[in-house]
Amino acid sequence: MTLAAFVDEAATVSGAAELRGAASTVAFDRVSVAYRGAVVLKPLTLEVAAGEILAMIGPSGSGKTTALRAVAGFVRPAGGRIRIGGADVTDLPPYARGLAMVVQNYALFPHMRVFDNVAFGLHARHAPKALIEERVAHALEVVGMSQYARRLPRELSGGQQQRVAIARALAVRPKVLLLDEPLSALDAQIRRSMVEEIARLHAELPDLTILYVTHDQSEALTLADRIAILRDGALSAVGRTGDLYRRPPNRFSAEFLGRANLLPVVVESAADGSGLVAVRAGEERLVVAGADEPAGAARLLCVRPQNLTLAPDAAHANRIAGVLREIHWQGELTHLVAEVGGALLRVVATRLPTIPARGERLEMFFSPADASLIAEDADV
Amino acid sequence: MLVWSRSGKAMVWSFAALVIGVVFLAPLAVILAASFARQWNGVLPSGFTLEHYAEAGGGASGAAVFASLTTGVVASLVALISGAWAALALRAQGGGAARMLGVLFFVPSAVPSVSVGLGLLVAFSQKPLLLNGTTAIVVIAHFVLISAFSFGNVSAGLARVSPDFEEVASCLGATPAYRLRRVTLPLVAPYLFAAFGLSFALSMGELGATVMVYPPGWVTLPVAIFGLTDRGDIFSGAALTIILVGVTLLLLLGIERTSAIWAQARNG
Amino acid sequence: MSDAAASPRGVKVDLGALWVAPPLIALAVLFLYPLALIAHAAVYDATDVVNLPAAWATLGSRAFVNALFNTAEIALAATAGSLALGLTLALIIAFVPFPGATFVARLIDTFIALPTFLATLAFTFLYGSAGVLNGALVQAFHLSDAPVHFLYSAWGVILAEVTVYSPFVLRPLLAAFSQVDRGQIEAASLLGARPWRIVRQIILPAALPAAIAGGSLCLLLTVNEFGIVLFIGAKGVITLPLLIYDKAIQESDYQAACVIAMVNVALSLGLFGLYRVAARRLGA
Repeated sequence: MTLAAFVDEAATVSGAAELRGAASTVAFDRVSVAYRGAVVLKPLTLEVAAGEILAMIGPSGSGKTTALRAVAGFVRPAGGRIRIGGADVTDLPPYARGLAMVVQNYALFPHMRVFDNVAFGLHARHAPKALIEERVAHALEVVGMSQYARRLPRELSGGQQQRVAIARALAVRPKVLLLDEPLSALDAQIRRSMVEEIARLHAELPDLTILYVTHDQSEALTLADRIAILRDGALSAVGRTGDLYRRPPNRFSAEFLGRANLLPVVVESAADGSGLVAVRAGEERLVVAGADEPAGAARLLCVRPQNLTLAPDAAHANRIAGVLREIHWQGELTHLVAEVGGALLRVVATRLPTIPARGERLEMFFSPADASLIAEDADV
Repeated sequence: MLVWSRSGKAMVWSFAALVIGVVFLAPLAVILAASFARQWNGVLPSGFTLEHYAEAGGGASGAAVFASLTTGVVASLVALISGAWAALALRAQGGGAARMLGVLFFVPSAVPSVSVGLGLLVAFSQKPLLLNGTTAIVVIAHFVLISAFSFGNVSAGLARVSPDFEEVASCLGATPAYRLRRVTLPLVAPYLFAAFGLSFALSMGELGATVMVYPPGWVTLPVAIFGLTDRGDIFSGAALTIILVGVTLLLLLGIERTSAIWAQARNG
Repeated sequence: MSDAAASPRGVKVDLGALWVAPPLIALAVLFLYPLALIAHAAVYDATDVVNLPAAWATLGSRAFVNALFNTAEIALAATAGSLALGLTLALIIAFVPFPGATFVARLIDTFIALPTFLATLAFTFLYGSAGVLNGALVQAFHLSDAPVHFLYSAWGVILAEVTVYSPFVLRPLLAAFSQVDRGQIEAASLLGARPWRIVRQIILPAALPAAIAGGSLCLLLTVNEFGIVLFIGAKGVITLPLLIYDKAIQESDYQAACVIAMVNVALSLGLFGLYRVAARRLGA
């Protein structure tokens, strides 16, 4: 950013929305990373749209953090290019990429007060003093930390420190905000409220592109517009959050993103244009959403535990019968495990008309729209 | 928490007091007493005098204080800069080669000081670097001997700085120089002060290399003290030792205060 | 990360590695080069002619063999003494803490910053022939001569070295003891373990790496110690560093000095390696 750009923007600073940077895309173009000869990220091609929150999730060692660090410029790709806002940044050092980052342990500079922490990036870019004061004040206001400007980081709680870290990142109006497990160090309750906080923040800054790395699928489900699931250094699945959750393309995505019941089925009749496919699971004949499934093909039927209900009604056309093996009452919810022809199905029920006993026969119902088919070998 | 009974504790503590008293306190106490003593032939010294200090105040002894302080401050500053430089460069580089070079920077601390002095004497008594008989060779000897401790202290400090701080700083737009000045160096500042303090204390007490290389006009305190005691003037030697200990401790205390004040001012 | 990794603009030279050059050059010119010249001077005599027989003669001389033996004996004894004293004090300070224990620990710590010959000078006043101890004994038993003479033997050097080097053992041991789980000791006490048993079975195993690291550092420093031996100035107590000083400064026999220095440096570097291994095990 040039000095002139700073001055221009200073004249128009008028609210929280002004903290956004220019909306930027991020593109991974066959980016691969090797570390000491070992490939930690296989060629990755992925695009993040401007103003989008893309969550990268996966177990540890899946390459998600490596991908983020490649965008930041901390690791150098062994191959491929990275573009931010269309410009190739692969050869640029981290400080010239116009980004900002929030990390798990906040990394607030312990020798600077909150104000100076938030002002750091602006100082580093030689912004004029008046602009710095204006920007810092706004950034702190956005995260609700205005009254703590004179504090030292060690005088703040974990949640407050993370708010300051976010303000520090926003103050430079980054093209892209990188969040690396930003909530993992917080305890469960604060984590929930921070997730809501970030969601509100993004609603106020709709143009801010966010790359969000986490191993926590609930954070990703709450915040992300799209989710990329990584596994063993490769992209396993990517899609809009709702689609990926409802129609996981493979077994790994189905099980990593939320809990899934996977029932082996055989396709009975191919799709007939209605978008429905008939399948057979043992004795049961079921109808699920799907297309182009060849008759006789073996598939996994994926249905989420909360989409199985014990009460029959018109909307839940499918019926599976099994034997109740376990039942756990957990206050708001009751978890049931039923055995269906050798497979175990989990049911999460919010209310039960009667409490079934273990060993009892159990009938479960679900709507065709709530189920999808996964090819058994599509286990990438 | 190991010994619970009152009598057991009393026994252990009396033992500790005796050992600490005899081994650590008595030596300091007798030197202090001797530095003020006119004579010491019996159990206790006899006659109080400030004569030894008066002697130490001027002339040869005053010059020794000056030589030691100058050598200590200059050698410690150079060692601090060189050590911090090496530690930062090796950390930025990383990898196996950097680790091996790191060990190399520690080696001077392992070589006996007399041999370091001998080496400098042999190396710099001939061309191309003719330094024998200059004060520079004393400063160089001290620098070599303390350089490993400066390097070690700064490296230990850097190892405790999470890379997150520097990565976040880079990401926010800080160039390497700006990051070094505003983030890395402030974070290791306590270790820089400690490195300087330790270097200075070691330099003040250095004897082995100094006796090999010192020119007539640059007699440091330990060499002067040895000269006095070797001649049998152990009372003056004691007074000069107390001055050496006093100057060292005062400077260490000063560095500790400066470190604290600086840390506070930075936050204020 | 290396900048040399696949770049479209061809091979890039990794200039980052050059940053280490200035301090490395200083080290090479001021330390490695003189060390190499010592090795050179060890085999060349004053007229710059290779003189191996002279080098062998030095290594076979009685003075050298005695000094080597003295150095080893004093270093081993002083290290053992420092370990015993340091361990005892560390145990008391850490596990039977008395009021002011931390202050005492800091006081002992300052000994690290003081010159080593201070101990010898003090011992002269305490245990010298005209010192406090002899004065008291002469007075108490009406003796005609001073009865205590250890100061002018190897024992004087060993005790002085124990005084100045036990803090080097105490420091890592206190750090290691602060990591020992207090709950473990309390649980063992409740189970009826006597203090000595707790020390042996819980505390000492935890402190072993620190003791090894502190002990090998002690061994290195005592092998290299010069001031204490010089100040005692006893004819019979010549160690390698003192012999180097005598040969070079008193006798101006530089070849002999350099030969002995090579042996001393090799010994020290071996001990340094030992210390590095021990320190790594400690995680330092």
